[in-house]
Amino acid sequence: MAYAAGVDVGSTQTKAVIIDEQKRIVSRSLTETGANVIRAAENAFAEALADGDLREEEVEYVVGTGYGRYKVTFGNTQVTEISCHGRGAVHMFPDTRTVVDMGGQDTKAIRVSPVGEIVDFCMNDKCAAGTGRFLGAASAALDIPLPDLGPTALRGERPVKISTTCTVFAESEVLSWLGKGKKIEDILLGVHQSIAARSAGLLRRVGIEDEVTFTGGVAKNTAMIATLNDRLDLQVNVSDDSHYMGALGAALFALDHILASRAPAKARQDA
Amino acid sequence: MADATVDSTIVGRGNKDGADLFRRWFEELTAAAGEDRRGAYVFVMGSFCELLQTFDLPIVFPEINSLQTAVRRVAHEYLNEAEDYGYSPDICGYVKADVATQLRGGELPMGRIPKPGIAVYTNACNTYIKWAEIWERMYGIPTFVLDVPGTRAAGTQTWPGHPDFENDRRYVAAQIRELIPVLERVTGIGFDVDKLRETMGHANTMGRAWQRVLELNQSRPSLFNALSDGTIYLGVANGFRGTAEGASYFEDLVEEMEFKAAEGIGTLTEELYRLIFVGVPCYPIFRRFTELFTELGGTFVNSTYLWFASGGSNVGFQYDLEDPIESLAEGVLVSVRDAMDSMFFQTKILADMIDDFAADGIVYHPIKSCRTVSTGLADNRRSLMEERDIPSLFIESDMMDKRVVSEAQLKNRIDAFFEGLESRRQQAAIRQK
Amino acid sequence: MTVKVSVDSGITEEVFTEWRDQPLDEILYHCRELVEDPDYPTARRWRDAGGKIVGHFQVYFPEEIAHAAGLLPLKLRGATLEATQADSRFGSYLCSILKTSLELALSGRIELEMFVTHPICDAARNLAAVWGRNFPYPCQILYLPQNANSPHAAEYLRGEYDRVRRAVEEIAGRPVTEDDLRHSLEVFNENRALLRDLYAMKRDTPWQVSAEDAYVLTAVGGMIPREEHNELLRTVLPLLRERPGKAQDRIRVVFEGGFCEQPPLDLIRAIGRSCYVVDDDFLIGLRWILGDVPLDGDPLLSLATAYLEDSSYSPVQHDLRKPKEEKLLERIAGANAQAAIVTAAKMCEPGLEEQVAYTRALDRENVPYFVSEFEENMTSFDHLEIQLETFVENLLFE
Repeated sequence: MAYAAGVDVGSTQTKAVIIDEQKRIVSRSLTETGANVIRAAENAFAEALADGDLREEEVEYVVGTGYGRYKVTFGNTQVTEISCHGRGAVHMFPDTRTVVDMGGQDTKAIRVSPVGEIVDFCMNDKCAAGTGRFLGAASAALDIPLPDLGPTALRGERPVKISTTCTVFAESEVLSWLGKGKKIEDILLGVHQSIAARSAGLLRRVGIEDEVTFTGGVAKNTAMIATLNDRLDLQVNVSDDSHYMGALGAALFALDHILASRAPAKARQDA
Repeated sequence: MADATVDSTIVGRGNKDGADLFRRWFEELTAAAGEDRRGAYVFVMGSFCELLQTFDLPIVFPEINSLQTAVRRVAHEYLNEAEDYGYSPDICGYVKADVATQLRGGELPMGRIPKPGIAVYTNACNTYIKWAEIWERMYGIPTFVLDVPGTRAAGTQTWPGHPDFENDRRYVAAQIRELIPVLERVTGIGFDVDKLRETMGHANTMGRAWQRVLELNQSRPSLFNALSDGTIYLGVANGFRGTAEGASYFEDLVEEMEFKAAEGIGTLTEELYRLIFVGVPCYPIFRRFTELFTELGGTFVNSTYLWFASGGSNVGFQYDLEDPIESLAEGVLVSVRDAMDSMFFQTKILADMIDDFAADGIVYHPIKSCRTVSTGLADNRRSLMEERDIPSLFIESDMMDKRVVSEAQLKNRIDAFFEGLESRRQQAAIRQK
Repeated sequence: MTVKVSVDSGITEEVFTEWRDQPLDEILYHCRELVEDPDYPTARRWRDAGGKIVGHFQVYFPEEIAHAAGLLPLKLRGATLEATQADSRFGSYLCSILKTSLELALSGRIELEMFVTHPICDAARNLAAVWGRNFPYPCQILYLPQNANSPHAAEYLRGEYDRVRRAVEEIAGRPVTEDDLRHSLEVFNENRALLRDLYAMKRDTPWQVSAEDAYVLTAVGGMIPREEHNELLRTVLPLLRERPGKAQDRIRVVFEGGFCEQPPLDLIRAIGRSCYVVDDDFLIGLRWILGDVPLDGDPLLSLATAYLEDSSYSPVQHDLRKPKEEKLLERIAGANAQAAIVTAAKMCEPGLEEQVAYTRALDRENVPYFVSEFEENMTSFDHLEIQLETFVENLLFE
């Protein structure tokens, strides 16, 4: 049995996933990326090996992805997280046509073909509005731990309108709403709705086609799922492994390499 | 088979001679500035060099000066200076680099430019007008906006004989006639129609050749990279328009390209993907930007930039030297209109380019500081993608301001685009089996 | 002078009736409601009655030509709404009005038979192409001359207006005669005269009309048939004059920077709390022509000549006779203002560029000024208001 691994070095967290030849996830790991990106990639991979009780030699091929993909020095090759999230999402939800990936630093809208090929993609890059970092700023301003953001926001009834597009100003806008006596849950619901609106705008650039799969770390946030569903007027797919979608996609690309190298030389020539 | 001596001298000659001509141009400008001669400030879309050359005016292209500060990696110094002066971070970077250049007495990394004696410009870009108003205030010089109406709606271009075209032509011709006495006053030189015939003749040669050069890049492999090599050709096309040197440079360039086409000498060792570039180059990381594509086997076979930044010379308009003023009016109208079309109404232009150049993908590069070119690109892409099944990449950065250029972000997207191109090719191969 | 109320569109029904027989405060309330309503109810009513609409983007459009064909010229000046669909049609670094104007059409809030834009700026000139790719009706650029100093410009513009006349004839399905045009010139001459009266009141007795009321009374004109607007102004102006009130201790300012994108009404109201806005360039296109357009002679040539020779100024029209900073100083002096509020819409290139010339000239002449940027969609002005109030306090207690 051969194994394939994907290591997704994100701006805040590094994820690793190892799969077997049947494309089943056998292990996963999650670490903070921190300042030493190479070390983070190594640690994540080592932890995934330990989690699956595997030896390094058993993993035949490693693909690095994420913004730090070139820092996966032990990897065999690199693939962008855009391709990986598309691939991972289609693997988990085969009818996926659109992927929205919300990470710490950016949000991506990806349109995929039925075979998982990337048809189009679009990312926010001017600022972090509409991303995990934006939520982080709100969480800091309101002094609410990140995991509690979603449940708190869902209790909101009269969401405020957040007009800023800037993470730096988000904090002051949130505080000014507090100053005006707005409830924390209404402010938070407003923050989530503002991110959902921005993400919907991004998705519209690539064209929204059902089914939509929501990936990335922010997909764990229940209020984000709810506001996104509302905004898009559909139900997005969310996997328990949404956080690992990039690493999973990378592992699937790694498995492609393993299988291709085993194919008879003749067949490879034909392809 | 051509003999080896021809081979070694002809390949790459355009780039070398282009760089030489560019250097000489700036040496002449520096000399003119030293003698305190005044120049004609003009822009790439409708420069009227044919006319201005006859008045013996040093020709200054502030757009080219500004982009050179970015290529030479000092643009931020100029931008900061203009922003300190009061200009917003959100306006055209070319304007700001020029404001700083003027504040520095014309000092640029390539040399020194003379102060303006007159500015002549069209309405092809509204920023030209606002820009010249700055010189008007700084120097109190005559500024002449030569209004050139463009296409009114997609697909409705009119031609000579049509009442709407003739209304436009009369307007342009009247303005040219109004400009001549202004030039006579500024330079103290009388207008000589025979000199105009001569410069227009050179422009005819250059236009014909430029059109041919662009067409020759339909060869497979493609002969030059529209983004990197093309920009060198553009420098000559603008700075030497209406001159004998400019005309002969482009005749040589045709010869070089025909030779390369015949010999199958391409710009890449292995041309995997033929791409079209839409927008303005990323000058702050000019060379690197091209490499992000060429390293993955992609080359730019054509671009809208080569059209509009040559003022529409790509149409190869041929002036009628028997009737120079009327014909100049018609030529400017047709060429500048085409330049504008490649920025605003480019859907059909791009669809044709895809076919003619057998393109595998389109790269849209809208930039922060040029709204003329960038405003409609997202919608153009949407509409072209509905019409054509071709992969496209949409990346935003800037032509001047490295603060909004992130190489890592660009690389990420470009890599993903190539991953898509590759998987598309694989899928197509599978379907064929 | 007599003005016929019904135009030859065959539509006799009025589209804005809420203000009829109401006291002044109610009239003003209904005008505010209409101007802030992103659903353009008056345009809807016009269409429901079988009328056709030419949407024209800022700044100036010769509305008389569309009017003469019996069409409703509708001024597109953005809206305070989220550009949900339009956002994906544009790049990132653009002003709001561009996106919200298209959003009005994409969302079906307004429906048009024809769209016209102008080469006022690098962004707006793209609109004909963008609009044309999204809608099946004619979408075009009207090339207003940027060389106002060419002796040939008027004749050229006459030809361009004639082209527009042919285009609207096609939409209307009937010819537009010289008499039709003359009649329209007459209606619009009256409209401009009434607006001049309104602005005279702002200047001479600013306590009689607040900045926001003057604004909405002007803006309504771009949304309803001009005959109705004339009636509204004929009714309101005397009521305003009769209103009791006296001068308060406020500074007299000129607001500059409202020629294209419009600041939200709340912002105008906030300025009005501490200042008398005695002159401004809000919706300058509706007041572009300064005097009456002569009714004798060729109407299109008269209209074209008035555009060039008897007109206001803005950062988006080039005319060597009108250096913008000199015109601003004239405006300030003409309105006897103490200070200027020099604004630009966010991402508005011509506005931002002109700010530099404006502020330098104001420095030179020692005119106090307040510089700011705004966006039509901004909802929080705390920051801006504090700065503005401090500016005003400084002037009052100097």
